[in-house]
Parts: sequence; structure tokens; C-alpha cells
Amino acid sequence: MDVSFAITGKGYVILAADTTAAHSILKVKLDEDKIKELSPHLAMAYSGEPGDTVQFAEYVERNIRLYQIRNLYPLRPASAASWIRRSLADSLRSRKPYSVNLLLGGYDTNTHTPHLYWMDYLGTLTEVPFGAHGYGSYFALSLLDRYHDPEAPLEEGLAVLRRCIDEVAKRLIVAQPKYKVKVIDKDGVREIEF
Amino acid sequence: MARRYDSRTTIFSPEGRLYQIEYAMEAISHAGTVLGVLAKDGIVLAAEKKVTGKLLDLSGAREGGYGGSGEKIFLLNSNVIGGVAGITADANSLVNYARSAAQRHLFLYNEDIPVELLAQRLCDLKQGYTQYGGLRPFGVSLLYAGYDPHYQFQLYHSDPSGNYSGWKATSIGANNGTAQSLLKQEYKDDIGIDDAIDLVLRVMSKTMDSTTLGSEKLEFATLTLDPATQKPKAKIYRPAEVDALLQKQGLGKKDEDAEMKTS
Amino acid sequence: MSIMDYNGGSVIAMVGKDCVAIASDLRLGVQSLSIASDFQKIFPVTDRIFVGLPGLATDVTTLHEQFRYRVNMYTIKEEREIEPEAFTALVSSTLYEKRFGPYFIEPVIAGMQKLPNGGYAPFIAGTDVIGCINFAKDLIVAGTASEKLFGVAEGLWEPDLEADDLFETISQSLLNAVDRDAYSGWGAIVHVITKDKVVTRTLKGRMD
Repeated sequence: MDVSFAITGKGYVILAADTTAAHSILKVKLDEDKIKELSPHLAMAYSGEPGDTVQFAEYVERNIRLYQIRNLYPLRPASAASWIRRSLADSLRSRKPYSVNLLLGGYDTNTHTPHLYWMDYLGTLTEVPFGAHGYGSYFALSLLDRYHDPEAPLEEGLAVLRRCIDEVAKRLIVAQPKYKVKVIDKDGVREIEF
Repeated sequence: MARRYDSRTTIFSPEGRLYQIEYAMEAISHAGTVLGVLAKDGIVLAAEKKVTGKLLDLSGAREGGYGGSGEKIFLLNSNVIGGVAGITADANSLVNYARSAAQRHLFLYNEDIPVELLAQRLCDLKQGYTQYGGLRPFGVSLLYAGYDPHYQFQLYHSDPSGNYSGWKATSIGANNGTAQSLLKQEYKDDIGIDDAIDLVLRVMSKTMDSTTLGSEKLEFATLTLDPATQKPKAKIYRPAEVDALLQKQGLGKKDEDAEMKTS
Repeated sequence: MSIMDYNGGSVIAMVGKDCVAIASDLRLGVQSLSIASDFQKIFPVTDRIFVGLPGLATDVTTLHEQFRYRVNMYTIKEEREIEPEAFTALVSSTLYEKRFGPYFIEPVIAGMQKLPNGGYAPFIAGTDVIGCINFAKDLIVAGTASEKLFGVAEGLWEPDLEADDLFETISQSLLNAVDRDAYSGWGAIVHVITKDKVVTRTLKGRMD
């Protein structure tokens, strides 16, 4: 039932994920943060099987941190995406695969460009201008086909995100009440009140 | 007495020295000179070939391979050129290791290995032989000339103990002291690639025994950025290209026939 | 619903006169939902070889990385570039390693093979998911639109097409076949390989 969206714009990536932690038919928590900050300019929205998600996100977080400690500079977004993809692809053919879908947003400080990667639990990886996971994707992707602008300033990007969230709230039976929104740009990762 | 401390690689002498490592470094100081100069828009590497002669079969230097089937300069990865001084057989083994390490990084992270990381990988291996007994350390020093997006152009040197350090210009092998003092005098911080080529060849011609430079004694390579793609472009000069470059710089062999005719 | 059809996508290769061509669509989907319209399934191996990897998208990436690693190690050890025939054997053995838990990919290989006399001959081949090689003299198809590709391509292809005509033939075959396949589409990419150069063109199809 997780819903997550991501949009790139002029010099930034926006990640948004709902904040519900569900257990069977129960909502057990309403302010869960499902966007992990991996390094100063890299963050990841995760969804999927409860338990797997947090476990895998922390595994990724610590490995990316270890690379940064060893080499004094963080992995670039494209390399981090490749490494995470391989972890999932290896996991897929293991005894108990992780069931985790990801949206990875990063700002490459070498080339000064934002990057967004769509990844699923199979290890499918592709760079996209915008992406979504969960039931929200069926609404958001068609909206974003119409309204997304890669050159839009942050305010316009957030306005488009608002459209997606409103549409899901209006049409999806299992709509999510609250979202956490994080922006990654040249200044790093920061949360935005939405 | 001293023999007690130099028969094994991993035993300290009372003065706290590892004799085998020092002997390995001594072996390197008899090898052909290798010279590297870092410029703001590229790096230059040159090396003196020791094994020469008319009967030497050089047909192994085919086209289309990984580059540098010469004696001392090798392409380690698309963004790193290596120059080696020391025992050639050990060097070949290290070059192979470096290439595999670079490919493993590419496989894992989908990016060219950062230059310092590649130097670290080799140094981890070399350091192992100063600590685990029964084996001889690698009798090889390397220069790594490379590019990565983190620190742009870089020049590193590593020695048999597993130490490495970054340089603006340095030299290993025979006469490296002379070469380094020449480099210290002449190096300027904002040097361009053309001036760096000129500097390398001038220093090389002074440190080498022979009076004239030629492709049979010299290996040469540059690493620059491709203006179109902004990707690193390694160029290991072919013998004919080395001779052409030397002619252009006025350091090549004079055409003896032409001289005969004029006189 | 087969796992081979989960992400969608198709590849075709054809032989011409002193040239070969390989082409694919650009769609990446999750069943009927399109995720990306610029997903590459064809990758350069050397200056004269391309490999197309239609099938499950995670394995497209995994195998591309695997082949790149093995080809680079081959180049280092052999001190020469790999030839299409040897690369096909490499593909086959890589896939057969996973005989009892295969990669869900049916590779297509296209390249110009160096001959002992110094000339070049066109080469195409395909394999199944466990690496059984199919050397073809005319064309190879694979992916979710393979049935349609067979029909169109066999109708349009003729022997000894020049590079320009081969480009037209392979492009029309692919574009018309993927229009009848819901899982392939979103434009196409075509590479025409001759002995000394590669011409790559990106095509727009029905972008819906």
C-alpha cells in the first residue's frame, strides 16, 4: 500500500513518500520516514515488504557511508545506483530475496546535475525524469507525462507533486493521509514541510 | 650479524628496518628511469627502455590490444596509465593485478576506478609482502598517471613497501635523484601539456646514458581529456610516433645521410 | 504471463552485403505499465560487435555488466580485441553456467568477423536462455514481438542488401512488428555495422 513519487527539475530532485506504517489492516504509525539520506547529496525512498525495507535501507546506508569513510569522498549517484542494483539483483537469486522497491535521487556535485533512478526488487534500474512506485504510480505517471517540466524551478516542481498527491487522495481507495517530502540539490538533502 | 635480519622479509633489524624491502628499492634504482609530470590539462609519462638491440623481436606489439605491450608503460584502465621500474616479471604480475582490480571496480560500481583507489589496491597487495613471511616483496615501483572526476588529473608513486604518495612531477629508477632535482628547478604550477611534454623529454635526455634519444630507448605516453566527450584519453606512443615527437622537439637523431650529403 | 514478457522489448538483427544491422525498441515496462522510453537493450562490445539483450530487464543490466567484464579480461589476456565468433561462445558459456536457474534473456549478436585474408564477413547469431547458439545466414529475432518480427522481416528481407537498404529493411520490420505488440515500442534504435564504421540512428515510432 506504499505510495512514493519522485520528480527532477532544474538542479534538484524531489522525493515524496507516504508516512503510514501498516500491519495487516491496521495503521500502526502515521509519521514513518521512508526516505533514507544515504550521503550528503543522495537519498532513497523505499517501499515494499515491511522488515525487508528498513533492513535493506540500513544495509545500503552503511555501505555507502563506509565507502565515504574509506575514500574521503562519497560515491557518485550513478555509481551508488549501480551498486545498490547489484545488491538487489544478487539478492533476487538468493534463498530469501529482499522485496524492496526504490527511488534514488541524487545531485552529482562533479557535473552539477540532478539524477533520479527508478529501481525495483528485481534489480531493474533505469534513470528517469520522474518515477513512482505502488498504486500511486498508475495515477502519477500519466499526470507527470502531461505536467512534468525538467527545467521547472522548485516551486513548480512542488506544485506538480501536489497535483499527484491530490489525485491519489481523490481517486485511490486506500489513499494515504500524509507525505514526507525531501529535496536534493546543490546544498544537499533537506526535508520540506508539505 | 646483519645477515640475521635480512634473510627474511618480515623481520625488523635492531634499527627498526626491513632489509629486504630496502634491497628491493635498491633493485629499482638500477632500473630504467620513469618520469611523470602533471600538467593542468593532462599528464605526461616517459620511460627509458633497458632491453634493446637489433635482434629483439618487437612484433608482439600488435594493434588493437589493451595498449602498451612495450617494456615499461602500460594502460592499466581507460583512465590510468602505469609506468613501472624494477624487476620486469614482478611488474607484469602487478600490471595484471591492477587491470583486474580496475575491472572489478567497473563491474561493481559501473564507473572507472578512481586513481588513488587503484594505487591503494596495489599498495595493499605490496604491503602484504612486508608482513607475511616466506615470500619476497615485489621489486617494483610504479607511477600512476590518471584522471577521475573527483580530483581530475593525478600522479601517484608507489614503492615496494606499499607506501604511496601523490606528486606534481616525480621520477623512479636510475638517476631519479638527478631527474627530481631537475624537475624541481623547472616545474611550474600552471604548466600546460605541451610544456610538460617538452620538460619530460629534456629531463629524460639529460638523465639517460645515451647521447641521442630514439624510440628504441624511449617509451612515451600522455593522458588528456577528449575535447568532444570530456572523457580521459590515454595515448601510448608507437615507436614511429616517439621518433616523430623527438624530431619535432629537436632531440631526435640527426639524419646521418643528410649530414653526409651536405658536408 | 511469462517472466520473459514481464518488462517487454524486442531485438532484431539482419545480414546485408558487407554489413550487418541490429535494432531494438526502447520500452521498459512493468507488465502493461510503461516506466521508461529510453531503455537501451543493445550494447557495443567492440568497434565491430554489438549485442542485443531482450528479456527480463534486471538481467539485461546484469548480463551487460558481466559481458563487459569478461570481454575486458579477454582483451587484457589476449592483447587483442575479441571476434564475433569467440564472443558468441563467451555469451553461450556465460548463460550455460546458470543452466538450472537461467538468466531470462535471449541474446542477439551482430558484428563483422575478421577473415584470415584480412577482409571482413558479416556475422549474426542468437542464443536461447541457456546459451544454445543459432548461427543464422539471414536474420535473428528475439523478444516479446518475435512472432510478429519473423513475419514482417521474412517478408521484407532479401540477400545482399547494401547498408542503406538494410537500414530501411530492418527499421520497417521492427517498427511495424512492435506496433502490433503492446509490450514493445516507444521508438527504436538501429545500428548498421560495416567493416570500418558504425552508423547509429534513433527512430520515432508510434509514441503511445
